[in-house]
Amino acid sequence: MNALMKDPRKTFGEALVEAAEKHPRIVAVSADSSSGSGLTPFREKFPERHFEFGIMEQGIMGFCAGMATTDKIPFFAAIAPFVTARPFEMFRNDLGYMRQNVKVVGRCGGLTYSDLGATHQSLDDMAIIRTIPGVTVINPGDPVDIRKATLAMAAHEGPVYMRIGSPKMPVLMDEDYPFQIGRGHVLADGGDITIVATGTVLCKAAEAVRLLQEKGLRPRLINIHTIKPLDRDLILTAAKETSRIVTVEEAYLAGGLGGSIAELLAREYPTPMKMIGIDDRYAEVGPYEELLGLYGLKGEQIAATVEAFLNA
Amino acid sequence: MMVTVNAPDSPCKRQLSDGNRYLGCEMKTYKTDELVELKKTAVKLRRNILRMMRAGRAGHIGGAFSAVEIMTVLYYSVMNVDPRRPRWPDRDRFVLSAGHKCLALYSVLAEKGFFDPALLDTYGSLKTALGGHPDMHKLPGIETNTGALGHGLSIAGGMAMGLKMDRRDARVYVLMGDGELAEGSNWEAAAAASHHKLDNMLVFVDRNFLQISGRTVDVMSYEPLDKRWEAFGWSVREIDGGDLNQIYANATDIPFTPGKPSVVIANTVKAKDLPFGEDKREFHYWKATDEDLAAAEQKLSEIEEVVTR
Repeated sequence: MNALMKDPRKTFGEALVEAAEKHPRIVAVSADSSSGSGLTPFREKFPERHFEFGIMEQGIMGFCAGMATTDKIPFFAAIAPFVTARPFEMFRNDLGYMRQNVKVVGRCGGLTYSDLGATHQSLDDMAIIRTIPGVTVINPGDPVDIRKATLAMAAHEGPVYMRIGSPKMPVLMDEDYPFQIGRGHVLADGGDITIVATGTVLCKAAEAVRLLQEKGLRPRLINIHTIKPLDRDLILTAAKETSRIVTVEEAYLAGGLGGSIAELLAREYPTPMKMIGIDDRYAEVGPYEELLGLYGLKGEQIAATVEAFLNA
Repeated sequence: MMVTVNAPDSPCKRQLSDGNRYLGCEMKTYKTDELVELKKTAVKLRRNILRMMRAGRAGHIGGAFSAVEIMTVLYYSVMNVDPRRPRWPDRDRFVLSAGHKCLALYSVLAEKGFFDPALLDTYGSLKTALGGHPDMHKLPGIETNTGALGHGLSIAGGMAMGLKMDRRDARVYVLMGDGELAEGSNWEAAAAASHHKLDNMLVFVDRNFLQISGRTVDVMSYEPLDKRWEAFGWSVREIDGGDLNQIYANATDIPFTPGKPSVVIANTVKAKDLPFGEDKREFHYWKATDEDLAAAEQKLSEIEEVVTR
C-alpha cells in the first residue's frame, strides 16, 4: 500500500485549530495529556482558550458541561477509556441528559495502546456511549475523516463522542468527499457481499477488498464513520442488494458497529452476518499489528472470513 | 450567639458575633421588617413543599426543609435572577448539587414567578415537570440536572469558568448536602475550582448532620470539614444555617478571599420546622399521611403567627 500516512492525533489537533479559528466559542480541555491528544498547536495558538485540569476525568465532564451552559464549545480530548468508561455517568447525565454542546475525543482507542493492557485499551467505548440518548458517536476511518469529523462536530449542536487511534493511518478518502455526520460512504461498489468497516481498521477492510477483487469477487465496502446515528438506509440497501453483511471494527462485537447493524437488521431486514472484532474478552498485550492478527483484523484474514462466508 | 468562623485568610477575624460583624468588617444585615418578611417567606416556601407532598404523597422532605433558609436568602436577597428571562446570560446561577432537595427549589422558583405555582400540584403525577430530581429542560429557572450525588460542584465550576472567560460579573451559588461530600468527584472539583481561582463561586454545605442511614459522622466522617475545604484551597466560614442574617451577611461578602472560591458550612437541622420530624433520619424521605400533613401545616401556621406578632 502506497497511500499517504498521517498521524491521527496530529490531524485532529490541526483540524481543531482550523475549527477554532471559525468558532471563537471553542475551548480545549485536557487531563494531563494535551500534547498526547494532539492539542499542542491549539494550546500555542489559543492559550487563553485551553484549560488543563490534571487527571480528573469525572470532574472534567462536569466542568465541560458547565462551560457549555455559558455558550462555550468544549473539546475534551484524552485517552479513550478515561473519557468514556471512567466518567460514564457524568457523560450520560452532564452531556447527554443535560444536552450540553460538549465534544469528547477519545484517543488511542481500540487496541492501539496495545502494550499497556486492558486498562488502557478501549474496546467498549462506542458501545457504552451509544446507549446515551442524544449523543452522536463518530469513529473516523482515515485522516480525511478525522479532519472533516472535527469540523463537523464543531458545527453540530449537541454532545459528540469521537474515537481516534494512535498509529499513523493511510489516507483512503478523497479530500473533497462529502462528509456528513450520520451518512456512510461507499468506498468500493459491488454486489457479491457487503463489508461494513469503521475507524482504525477501515484500511484493513480496504486491503481485504483489494485481495478479494484480485480473485474476481466484487465486494461492496462501506465506511461507517458515524456509529450513531447509524446510516440505516445505506445498510438496509446493502443488505437487500448483497444478502450478506460482514462488519469490521477494532472493538467488542457487543454493542459497537456489528451490534448496531445486527439490531437494525434483526428488526428491519434479517440478513446473515459475520462480525469481526473482539469477542467478550480482555485483549492480550503485544505489538499492535500482531494483536490485530490475533483477532482476525488483518487484511488477508478479513478477506478469508469474507470468502468463507460467501462459500458457506 | 457566638459562632466559630474559619477564615484564616480573610481580613476579618475568626469570631462572628450576632451573625453579622467580623472585627473590622461591616457585613450586611437585615432591618427588622425585612427579617419578618423573609421569615414569612420561609414559611411560605415550606408550605409549598407540603403542597407538593400532598400532591405526590412522598418526597425528600428532610433536606428540603433544612435548606429553606439558605434558599430564601439566595433567591430573595442575593442572586441576580429574572423570572422573565431565565436564560439571561448575566444571571447568577444556582446549582442544586444535592438534587433530591428539589422540593425546596421548585418551591422558591414557583414563588418567585419562574412558573405557575399550580404546577406544584402535579408533583408525583405522570410526566410532571417536577420530577423527584430537577430537569433543566422541563422547568425554567433550573440550571442543572442533578440527583446523582456529589457532582454539582464540577458543573458549577464550569459555569464559573465560562463566566470569568466572558468577564461577566455573575456568580455561581451551589447548595450541597453533607452526606454527598463522600463522593470523589466533589473533591476533584474542589481542587480544580481553587487551582483555577474561581472566586466567583460560593458553596453552601447544608450540614444537617444526617444521611439516609444515620449520622453523617458515623456513616462516613468528613470531619474536620472546614479543614478539608481549607486544604483544598477554599476560603471557609461556618455559620448557623437557620439564621437568615448570618446567611445574608456571608452570601453578600464573597469572595471571602480574593482569588479563592468561598464555602459556607451552614449547620442546619434536618426537616426543620416539621413537627415530629426534626433531626430524624427517618424524614430524609417521607411518605406522608393526610394527618401528618395537616399537623405539619398547622405547625407552619403557628410559626407564621409568632413571626408576624
